[in-house]
Amino acid sequence: MQIADKLLDYYASQGCALPEIGLLQPADPLLDTAGEDLRRRIFITAGQKGESLCLRPEFTIPVSLHYLREGTSGKARFGYAGTVFRQRSNEMSEFSQAGIEDIGNPDRLAADLAAITDCCETIRLAGVSDYRLVIGDQAIFEAVLSSLGLPAAWQKRLGRSFGDMDRMSVDLDRLSGENRNGMGLDPELAELAKSGERALLNQKIAGMMEEAGLQSTMGRTPEEITERVLEKAELAAANLDADHRVALDAFLALETSIEEAPAVLEQTASLYDFEIGSALEGFAAFVEALKAKKVSNGESIYKASFGRRLDYYTGLVFEIECPGQDKPVAGGGRYDHLMSLLGAEAEIPAVGFSIWLDRLAAAGGQ
Amino acid sequence: MMSIIVAIPSKGRLKDRSVEIFSEAGMPIELAQDNRTYRGEIPAVPEVEIAFMSASEIARELVAGKIHLGITGEDLARETVSDADAVMDIGVKLQFGHADVVVAVPEAWIDVETMADLDDVAAEFRQRHGRRLRIATKYWQLTQNFFAGHGIAVYRIVESLGATEGAPAAGTADVIVDITSTGSTLRANKLKILSDGIILKSQARLIRSRTSQADINQISAIETLVSRIAKSLGSNSGK
Repeated sequence: MQIADKLLDYYASQGCALPEIGLLQPADPLLDTAGEDLRRRIFITAGQKGESLCLRPEFTIPVSLHYLREGTSGKARFGYAGTVFRQRSNEMSEFSQAGIEDIGNPDRLAADLAAITDCCETIRLAGVSDYRLVIGDQAIFEAVLSSLGLPAAWQKRLGRSFGDMDRMSVDLDRLSGENRNGMGLDPELAELAKSGERALLNQKIAGMMEEAGLQSTMGRTPEEITERVLEKAELAAANLDADHRVALDAFLALETSIEEAPAVLEQTASLYDFEIGSALEGFAAFVEALKAKKVSNGESIYKASFGRRLDYYTGLVFEIECPGQDKPVAGGGRYDHLMSLLGAEAEIPAVGFSIWLDRLAAAGGQ
Repeated sequence: MMSIIVAIPSKGRLKDRSVEIFSEAGMPIELAQDNRTYRGEIPAVPEVEIAFMSASEIARELVAGKIHLGITGEDLARETVSDADAVMDIGVKLQFGHADVVVAVPEAWIDVETMADLDDVAAEFRQRHGRRLRIATKYWQLTQNFFAGHGIAVYRIVESLGATEGAPAAGTADVIVDITSTGSTLRANKLKILSDGIILKSQARLIRSRTSQADINQISAIETLVSRIAKSLGSNSGK
């Protein structure tokens, strides 16, 4: 039996629907969610009516669109295995992916566990037993940030840099006052901002927009710009003191076995005097449940700095690494913001994973 | 020997200055006898065949390896292919056709001075306006590379093939990436360049294709021609 069929059988046995996902997909939902940057990495063509179409570059967004289109209410799991197309520099453009998307389950802990368990089981079904699981959690980082009492604007900016240590370092240096470039405001405006002259700022900006023929209904409004000017004043005034910088650096450097992670996080928090609070409780419960599952023979690692720089990922992220492979063979995570980005009226919880079957084959699988 | 093909812009100031540069280097170009003005030759260097093409066509032909050398703007060369330096040697600076490819936003965006500011704005745009931030440009490639370098992914490009500077007032885009030489068009449209928003300082270049076929004699003819022009311009061959 082909590996794809074997995996689909397994996914069906785990309660997954197996929807037909077309090879040709509308490009706009993908570019709107993942961003214009994706354009360079996919194959785009135009339909006769001028619409942008692309060769299926992944399954998560098409499966999510399927969920929304079918008007599925409540929870559903979807399994898939098939060809995807990406422009990659040193790998084939056409390759296979398999995975599960679990949408609408309010029991996030159970859904997260199921995603990791089924991901590891997929790896084993493909004949690979030597692998390690790496786990990260955006929610823990955000909890650390908020306990340090940073202004909201800085919390948002650092939250966005989570998952990219180079970018994070630049942000932290700037916040520590080591590199204040690009934070300046025009002196007159800075004065207005400092004294909180919201109405005057609004007026000034509205005048400039009118002069330029800009309509505030088309894009940014004077109020929005004013708000950010004030936020910027706050950003420029904020300073990360040396103790807090040390605490953040220590947190981001954490890498430990998943079993010990809750205890290590707790120690680090008390040593450096920050709090993780309820995010830690949730994480500890997750680790406890994961231990009982025995998902991997190899080690499982928690890495505090591990995250995905896509704005719809919100919590748990994980990857599977195989010895001798410099790229992960599988990746997954919780993306609670995606469904509303795609048009759902309220937030719908969702978690999923994808396996690169070509990389898995290179690691000795089928 | 097989001739080498050198492409020159077919019209306007770019053409005139290119032809002058060859004359100044002691290699005046003569148009082909049969009145088909899209071909020319250099009597002093008979192995060179001159082809007149549009500047953007020259960039494409260099990438495809159908011509050996060409004069075109660095902006067009870098826009044509994502890893331009791998397929061509963007060599001698010809000291004309100066223009910068820049990121410009409305002057009324007083909170936005840098790419980091634009990153903040882009990140929240969807939440506030129900759509991603829109950038009008004809430079897809340069924009994507530059924004990726600044870690900005969440925006959309709106293709603009003319009067890009009018896009914000027309409501078709929020921000533009466009070419400017003096900045006066931007100022007239109440747009400002971000302090770290200069994507490329472009000018006309004598560019050598790395993908074209050439035997040892052709290679030596190409190198001789490039060094004569560089020397005539005063050894400005640096990047």
